[in-house]
This record gives sequence, C-alpha cells and structure tokens, in this order.
Amino acid sequence: MTEAAIVSERPRPKRRRRRVTAGTVGQYLALALTVAFTVFPLVWLFLTSIRSSADIFSVPVHIIPETATLTQYVSVFVEYDTMGYVWNTVIVSVATVILVHLLAIPCAYALSRFRMPGAMLIFGVLLIMRMIPVIALAIPLFAVFAAFGLLDTVWALILSHTAAKLPVAIWLLLGFMQDVPKEIEEAAQSDGAGTVRTLVQIVAPLIAPGIGASAVITFLFTWNDLLLALTLTSSKAAQTLPVGLTNFVSQFGIDWGAMSAAGVLMVIPTLVFVWFAQGLLVKGLTTGAVRG
Amino acid sequence: MRPVAQKQVSGRRRRSPLPYTWQRGYLLASPALLVMLAILIYPLGYSFIMSFFRWDLSGSAPFIGTGNYTDELFGRQFNQALRNQAIFSIISITIEVVAGMAIAVLVNGKLRGMRLARTLLLVPPMIAPAVVGLNFRWLFNTQYGLVDALLRMFNLPDIPWLNHPTWALVSVIVADVWQNTPLMVLLFLAGLQSLPQEPLEAATVDGATPWQRFWHIVLPLMRPVIMIALMLRIIDTFRTFDVVWLMTQGGPGGATNLLTVYSYLLAFQAVDFGHAAAVSYIALGMSLFVLGLLYGVPWLIAKRRAI
Repeated sequence: MTEAAIVSERPRPKRRRRRVTAGTVGQYLALALTVAFTVFPLVWLFLTSIRSSADIFSVPVHIIPETATLTQYVSVFVEYDTMGYVWNTVIVSVATVILVHLLAIPCAYALSRFRMPGAMLIFGVLLIMRMIPVIALAIPLFAVFAAFGLLDTVWALILSHTAAKLPVAIWLLLGFMQDVPKEIEEAAQSDGAGTVRTLVQIVAPLIAPGIGASAVITFLFTWNDLLLALTLTSSKAAQTLPVGLTNFVSQFGIDWGAMSAAGVLMVIPTLVFVWFAQGLLVKGLTTGAVRG
Repeated sequence: MRPVAQKQVSGRRRRSPLPYTWQRGYLLASPALLVMLAILIYPLGYSFIMSFFRWDLSGSAPFIGTGNYTDELFGRQFNQALRNQAIFSIISITIEVVAGMAIAVLVNGKLRGMRLARTLLLVPPMIAPAVVGLNFRWLFNTQYGLVDALLRMFNLPDIPWLNHPTWALVSVIVADVWQNTPLMVLLFLAGLQSLPQEPLEAATVDGATPWQRFWHIVLPLMRPVIMIALMLRIIDTFRTFDVVWLMTQGGPGGATNLLTVYSYLLAFQAVDFGHAAAVSYIALGMSLFVLGLLYGVPWLIAKRRAI
C-alpha cells in the first residue's frame, strides 16, 4: 500500500519540476540575450579604446584587439588636452547639484507643508517645465547670456542647468516630503525649534534617501548634457566633455581611438553610480519617472 | 503625486500648532521660484514673443506676425524634419515599449543573476546620449565598423548605414532603441512586481493559458504604467538631439533632421533665431497635442460608453 502510494505520487512532482526547467531555460536565454545586447556596444567602445591606431584601421576587422595599449588614453590628455573639459564638466555638475538642492529642498518643503495660495499654479508650471524641449530654452538663454556677457563661462552653464533641473528635483523631493509624519515636526517646534531648524535638523535627515536620489539624477543629467553646453560655450574656457567629443569629429577628422577613450572616460561616473548607488538611481528613475 | 495638493486642501483644515502660514511658505519657496522665473520662465516667454519677430541678432527686429510659423509650416525643410520626427518617434517608441514589455515579462522571475541583469540594464539609459551617438557611429562605420564586418563575415551585402538617407534614420532609431528599451524594462518590471496576485491565480485555476492571462489580466492592470512610459518617451523623442548630433548632425541631406536638430541648425548655423524659436514652440505644441490625444481619446471613449 505505502509503496504503491509512493510510486503513484512520485511522477507528479517530477513532471512539474521538468516543466519549470523548460520555462526557466527560456527565461535564462532571454535574460542572456538581453544582457548581451545591452552590454556589447559598451564592450566594443572599451575594446576600441585600448587598440593601437593601426589595429583600429585594419581590414578585416579584428574582434579581439591584437595588443592592449593605453596610447589612446595618453593621446586624449596629451594631444587633445582633455583635462580642461573634464574640469569644466566636474565644476558645472557639482555646482549644479549643490545649487539645485539648496533651492529645491526649502521649496519642496514649503509646497508640501504650507497652505500657499497659488500652489496649484506652481505645480502646473513645474509639470509643464519638465516637457519643454531644451532647445526652446537654449535659444533665448543664448541671447540673454550674451546681453549679460556671460556666454562662454561656466556660470552660464551652472545657472542654466540649475534652473532647468529644479522642476524635476522639486517634484522628486515633494514625493519624499509627504512621507515624513508631521507629528515629528510638531514635537520639534513645540520644543522651540524654528522653521529653518526643523527643516535642516529634522526633515532633511529623514528624507536623505530622497535627496540622494535626486542628487544622483541631477548630477548625471548635467554631466551628460550636450545641447546647453554646445549653445552657451564656444571655447575651452567653459566647454564640457560632451562638447569635447564633438570636437574630435570636426577639428581633427575623426580619431576613433582617442574618441572612444574619451567616451569611456565620460561613462565612468555613470558606472560608479550604477554600481554603488543603484538603489538611489532606481528610486530616482521610477519615483519621478523623469528624464532631462 | 497628486495627493500633495489634496492633502493640503482636505487635511489641513484643523488648526495646526505649527506656524504653517502661507507667508512663511512663500519665503521658503521664493529663492527657487525666483531662479525659475528669471532663468526658465522669462527666457521662454521672451523667445515666444520673439518668435513673432524677425529675430536674427542684427539689432533691428521688426514684428512680422505669424510669419515665422507660416514660413516653417509650409517650408520644405520643416516638413522633412516633421516627417523624420514622426517616423522616428512612432517606430522607436513602438519598439521600445513592445520589446520592453516582452523582456520585462520574460525576466520577471526569481532567476539567478537577475540582480546583476537589472544593474546592467541601468547603464544604457544613464550614459550620455552623446557617447551612445559616437559609439553607434563607429559601429555603423562602413569601412572599419563592426556591423558591416559581421555582415561581410556571413557573405551578406554591406549596408551604407550613415551615408544613405533611409539607413541613416534606421541607424539613429537603433541607437535610441538601444539606449531607452532598458528604461522601459525597468519601469515595466517595477509595475509587474506590484501587480495583485489574486486575479492571476484565479485565472490559472480557471484554466487560462499564459497568453490569455497576459492579454486579459496583466496588460489591463499595467495600463497606468504603460501610459506613464508612453508619456515619458513622447516627451523625450520630441527633445532628442544629442544622439543625432554625434551620429549624423541631421544628415545626409537632412534625412535625420528631427525637430530639435532642425531648430538648432536654424539658430546656430543660419543665425535665424525667429524661425528657430518658432520651430521649438511648434515642437512643444506637437508633443502637448500627442499627449492630449494619449490621455484624451481613452477618456472620451470611456465617457461615450458611460452614456
């Protein structure tokens, strides 16, 4: 009896396990293909950046580089003097992140807590500002900054990025502010803390992940921007790395090796944030579901 | 995110012991509001007004009414850019959303390596579109590029990717799809993982096939997420510039001019700011119009049915 029961029961879990396996294989295959298509173009960029110039311009194309060399990276800095672009990009991105958050945190706090007449209008404007094509902003900013003599300075870039990234940052932070219970603030204030102190010492630490998420998003979109930098700067005094990439095309013919090496350098911050702050990035992308 | 406003209206009726007065609110918000007023709203308003003038930075700018707009709307180059924009937006958004959903469903399981895969999927949407553009320009290079080399390996004819009007537009779409499909996968995965399990289990008990479950249960439940994804991509494709600029600069012969690229060329190569501003506002108007259709048409249909 018992043996018969065992025998009759055995096939069922076995069959189920096999069915799961077949589905899982398909899933793994899909996963592997997706990952391959995602990663391969970047691997190719990296491979191009470590080839010698002779290897780059060889026909037929060698998939695996014949030798690995750092000459392209050396030429990026020595021949093309890219360090200036790097510094400008770092200065603009860091200053933008700081300014945006100094402005956006109190603004989001005010919008989430204080009964302000016209708040609906402000929400509406914030939403519309996220949809404006950057070119619609770049054209008048060129004229305005020209009038103030700010063209071709990092200040033009810092100011325009700060304004352009504010709506997204405020919107993101608003979502996190809502989750802070008001009772905590009420306790702080009945203990004699003022509005600013409550914001700085109580609310800001509680929404630290939100601030982190919006800081990472703001930093990367400023770092990556091409259009504003292309319109508002014209010399190495203020040009950023993405504009530097376009100079590889127009000025020197196309030096694919050095250009790929510069491209790899541009991607590094993204890789660092994706690796170390993945949670913040996903939060920033899916909470606000925003770009630009 | 709408609850913010609602909370303020309904929840704040009771007297709070806190000094949440509107004056204080505006004091806190004013720096940000002033910066946006000065560097966003004022310039946008300025260029909107100037789009009704002959504006070429030469000093005199006579009022010409809607001249810039009618010039462009009936102009050959604008209509070419508009056609390119329509093809680019429709094809790339369709591929990104459909492929994004398919991949999201396929990898929505507890697989080994899922964490790593999700990490890798974050990379393309977050790297500079300028780098994506240069990289695909290199991959599609007809002499030394990898794609044509692979075609030759399989004895297939070369494709003149960036030198041919149609293929150039295809190349730009490929680059955009590569960069943005992973973003769709991430959004849809987040949506799939927050779906209620009961309806799916009930359908399985009733003998629904996986396809029926997806089509009749998952897809309708995912509608809000899909709408947000569509909205994001519509807004973004109407702003696409960087990828195209690094790959083709709008060429060959204007075959990859999208509205933003065309507007940039008008302003900074032809130094015709009036026409450029007009084009940028037409682009904004069109993306608003498409978004209106996206949300308005389902709403109208629902209303009809209700009556």
